[in-house]
Amino acid sequence: MIASIMETVLSPFTFLLLFALSSCLGAVGVIISQSLVRMAFWLIVSLGSVAGLFFMADADFVGAAQLLIYVGGTLVLLVFGVMLTASSPYTKIEASPGETVIASLVGLLFLFMVAGTVSRIDWPGTNAAIANVTPASTSGGFSDTSEGATLRPLGFALLGVRPDQEGAPGYLLPFEIASVHLLVVLVGAAYLARAKRRRDVA
Amino acid sequence: MSGDSLSKWLMIAWLLPLLGFVVEIFFGYYSRNPRRSKAAAWFAVGCIGTGFICSVIAFTQWCSMTGAFDGESGWLAARVHAHDADDNDADDNDADDNDADDNDAEHHDGHSGHDDGEAKGHDSDDSSPSDAAGAAEAPAEEEAASDEAAVLREGGHLLAVAEDEGDDHSHGHDGPKGEFSGVIYTLGTFGGITLSMDYYIDSLTLVMFMMVTLIATCIHLFAMGYMSDELTDDYVDHFAHTADGKHVHRPGRFYRFFAFLSLFCFAMLGLVLAGNIFQVFVFWELVGICSFLLIGFYTERKTASNAANKAFIMNRVGDFGFLIGLMVLLTYFGTFRFGDTKVDGEVVEQGLFSMVTRDATGNFVRDDITGEVLLTDTHGHALTEGGENRTIPYMLLVVAGLGVFAGCVGKSAQFPLQTWLPDAMEGPTPVSALVHSATMVAAGVYLTGRFFPMFVQEVLLTIAYIGCITLFMAATIAVVVTDIKKVLAYSTISQLGYMMLGLGVFGWGAGLFHLVTHAFFKSLMFLCSGSVIHGCHHEQEMPKMGGLLKKMPITAITMLVGVCAIAGFPLFLGLHFSGFHSKDAIVASALAFVNANPTHFLLFFLPLLTAGITAFYMFRLWFYTFWGKPRDQHLHDHAHESPWIMTVPLLILAPFAWLCAFGGEQGYLYVLITGNDPSHLHDGVQAVTTGGLTLPGHEAVHAVHSQAGWLAMIAAFSGALLAYLLYGVGIVDLDRMKAQLSKVHGFLLNKWHFDELYDSLFMKPAHKVAAFCAWFDKAVFDNIVHGFAKVGIVIAQWDRVFDEKVVDGFVNLLGDSTKSIGNSLKVVQTGRLRQYVMFIVLGVVTLFAFVFTTFPS
Amino acid sequence: MSDLNLYLYVGAFLFVCGVICMATKRNGIGVLMGVELVLNGANVNFVAFSRYSELKLDGQVFAVFVIVLAAAEAAVALAIALNFYNNHLTIDVDRGNKLKG
Repeated sequence: MIASIMETVLSPFTFLLLFALSSCLGAVGVIISQSLVRMAFWLIVSLGSVAGLFFMADADFVGAAQLLIYVGGTLVLLVFGVMLTASSPYTKIEASPGETVIASLVGLLFLFMVAGTVSRIDWPGTNAAIANVTPASTSGGFSDTSEGATLRPLGFALLGVRPDQEGAPGYLLPFEIASVHLLVVLVGAAYLARAKRRRDVA
Repeated sequence: MSGDSLSKWLMIAWLLPLLGFVVEIFFGYYSRNPRRSKAAAWFAVGCIGTGFICSVIAFTQWCSMTGAFDGESGWLAARVHAHDADDNDADDNDADDNDADDNDAEHHDGHSGHDDGEAKGHDSDDSSPSDAAGAAEAPAEEEAASDEAAVLREGGHLLAVAEDEGDDHSHGHDGPKGEFSGVIYTLGTFGGITLSMDYYIDSLTLVMFMMVTLIATCIHLFAMGYMSDELTDDYVDHFAHTADGKHVHRPGRFYRFFAFLSLFCFAMLGLVLAGNIFQVFVFWELVGICSFLLIGFYTERKTASNAANKAFIMNRVGDFGFLIGLMVLLTYFGTFRFGDTKVDGEVVEQGLFSMVTRDATGNFVRDDITGEVLLTDTHGHALTEGGENRTIPYMLLVVAGLGVFAGCVGKSAQFPLQTWLPDAMEGPTPVSALVHSATMVAAGVYLTGRFFPMFVQEVLLTIAYIGCITLFMAATIAVVVTDIKKVLAYSTISQLGYMMLGLGVFGWGAGLFHLVTHAFFKSLMFLCSGSVIHGCHHEQEMPKMGGLLKKMPITAITMLVGVCAIAGFPLFLGLHFSGFHSKDAIVASALAFVNANPTHFLLFFLPLLTAGITAFYMFRLWFYTFWGKPRDQHLHDHAHESPWIMTVPLLILAPFAWLCAFGGEQGYLYVLITGNDPSHLHDGVQAVTTGGLTLPGHEAVHAVHSQAGWLAMIAAFSGALLAYLLYGVGIVDLDRMKAQLSKVHGFLLNKWHFDELYDSLFMKPAHKVAAFCAWFDKAVFDNIVHGFAKVGIVIAQWDRVFDEKVVDGFVNLLGDSTKSIGNSLKVVQTGRLRQYVMFIVLGVVTLFAFVFTTFPS
Repeated sequence: MSDLNLYLYVGAFLFVCGVICMATKRNGIGVLMGVELVLNGANVNFVAFSRYSELKLDGQVFAVFVIVLAAAEAAVALAIALNFYNNHLTIDVDRGNKLKG
């Protein structure tokens, strides 16, 4: 019984729900908390949960990238920003309550709209596919990868080869553009953030 | 040697003054001290002097090419000696004559002694006694002829037409022509017309070249002294006044004067060298503009600028005729060239001169049927075109001749265009010397002589009468004029009249002979007068002078030489003054002409009378100036002889003025000039022409020569004697005589009222017409224009209203509305990030809502 | 409710949370965090469609690119924030209203 309960509890769907809830909670925490550090903490929670969601969706590489880049890179960067810009007397910088209320109302409106859209759509092809799909490996044939092993196809796709889908376009050019883009960003960020003589504010 | 090298030398002589002009005008001003430097003058003298040397070299080449001095058989020597043989009296004298004459004729004695021409000249002298003693006329001539043929075979460029030799003898001119013609540079071809710079060289060209360059060199030297008061930065012109009555101060213009002189020489030499009538016209105008520049050299003087304008405008009147003549010639002959164009001795294109042929009677060959003048080839056969003979109507040939002569009338100051020349005395005296001797006025006579083959009888008679009227009228005026330069100016007009008369009565050689001799003695006299003026501190009125003989002996003596030369005095031992020979030649030609045509007796008696008047007024000038007691003691005290740079040219020119015509019509100069005599008159035949004229041949002229000479000599001596009695001795009271003859005196003093006549004939009507035009302009045209302007203003005002209200209003509305929209929209742009996010979200929501409501499922 | 829908709801919720975060925070870095949330919400959708539709691998590739771009964006935005802070001694985005209409 306990085992069955455990099996039910520890089923993928349970994890899915868990990750979904934690990510949503993290997001709400980001909104609610006023301190930057807490916001950063809640963001970590939210993004980490999203990474879990990715794993649950068999996107192991994307999930790993999410963890490495977002949680490991971007957030560290944000924390750096927090530390660099924290002015000494922690003056509270927060919006007026009226604004918050209006923003929340508008946000809810938006949420309802999107959620309504999602719920109203019956994904027929998708639902049919769900029944027998074993993700990302059915049409493989190129390699005998186990479930969720998307690393190799992704690598090939980024190098312009598509073993999983004959005739589909590769992503070599966007990949290269992205690399150049990153270089530019690197240089630009270094330029913008370089140490300058602080200008006195009138 | 060929015509090429000959023309090269002459071209150097021609172009050097142009180089001088360019250098002086462009670099003279930039030299370190342009106002005080004589560099420009020395450069100009160098150019023209080198030009003289080049001319002499060209002359020697020409001599050797034509065989002029080939030992005793040279044609020039042969002709001189042939005449010697004719003369029965004083053989020894003639031999001496030849010796001295030789040196004179060649002009290089003492200048360039290395010329082989001189050596040849001496050769001929050595052989002259035997020749004179025994040689008959015919053998010498035959030998000369065979020599020519030899030269022809060798040369190929020599235009002396071998095939015409037989004709030559029958027509009685026995020297080789020795013409060379060719193209220097082709300017362009327009349809059938080729405009080119040609050259046409014959003995006349060479004589003119040497004469012009020699005289110009002397005048340049003289001017260096005469114009030396221009060598300053502050020249005070005592004859020009500013508005407040002060003398004009201006920088000296020494270098500019010499630049103009150089250009003048270039233009004249180009005119002489020119091988076609159009080129002559071009340089003709260039001479005109140079004279304009030089006569008006003292531009600050109103009289000077007026005189320059007058000279220029008078010349335009003549040049108008010239242009008409050119049009006629081009229309009917299709060429402007004088000589034939030859390639390897074959005529490829005929020139003007060979296209008309005179028959034995001196008339042009005419078409039997139409009576028009035939155009012929070089052999005298009619040219055909489309099966018909090419002809030109006789009247048009007259028009062409009169037209070209009209140009000469203007340029040589003949009646009725003579009035500019006395006014031209406003220029500096060296300019007067140059204008009145070698260049400008000589150009007219030269062209008349050069174009002689194209003149028909009627034109020649006109020329003779014009010359006759001019010479008499100018001489009478010269008697009363007291300005020393104006006396010379009128004498120039008079002498030019002589030349024209000579040409007109078929004395071609005589006219041009006088041109050369006159150039020498007139330039000498002008330079002397310049010396006097310079010595008397710019006093030109003769009544204030007198007794200057002791003060300025060199000037006085050289002047006396010139006076004797123009008066035409003979002297012992055949050392006659040059004017004696040349004037004799003209008078003899006139006498022969009048003998043949008694109705035209004036053509002889007026020149004869004028010969006496000439002697009278020239001696009057000399006595007035140099003889007797000083009339103005102050002037006399300050008078002085001129510096050497001014007297040396006088001393150079005086021998030429005296002896250049040595030997007369048997001398080298005359023989040389007439080497290419175009007056095709049968020797000894009195040819009857259709114009009702009888033309005397050379023999006829020769027959009356001594008679004419005696008459002219008596006239000259009596004129000189009268002058001596009146002005040298003073037997009558001149003032009383003047009062008694006041009407005649006034008439002459007012130059026969020509200026008044032209004033009332042309100036006043022109003023009337101009006044009417001015009125018409103001009353009619101005009102029309003003009306247009007013309409324009009204339209513009309406346009302004439309512009301001409609166009501006629309544009302003556009701008204002844009601005107000922007103002109302800018409140959205709050600069608050959160608000923008809200906008975005709301926008997206709205968009979705719109999509969902519009496309439900 | 299928798994896909769950993913989509989560994505939508994250997206909206990001938007609200952007709309309520005056702190510049807070706004940045909102942007990260928005991008994550989109990424969740990509991965979900990659798993449950014919989109397959392309969805994941897109997600990777979005992550890369988000990282780049974060770097540049942080540099801008630092600059802003250097000039205004604060990172209150309301102070950057010099260009308001």
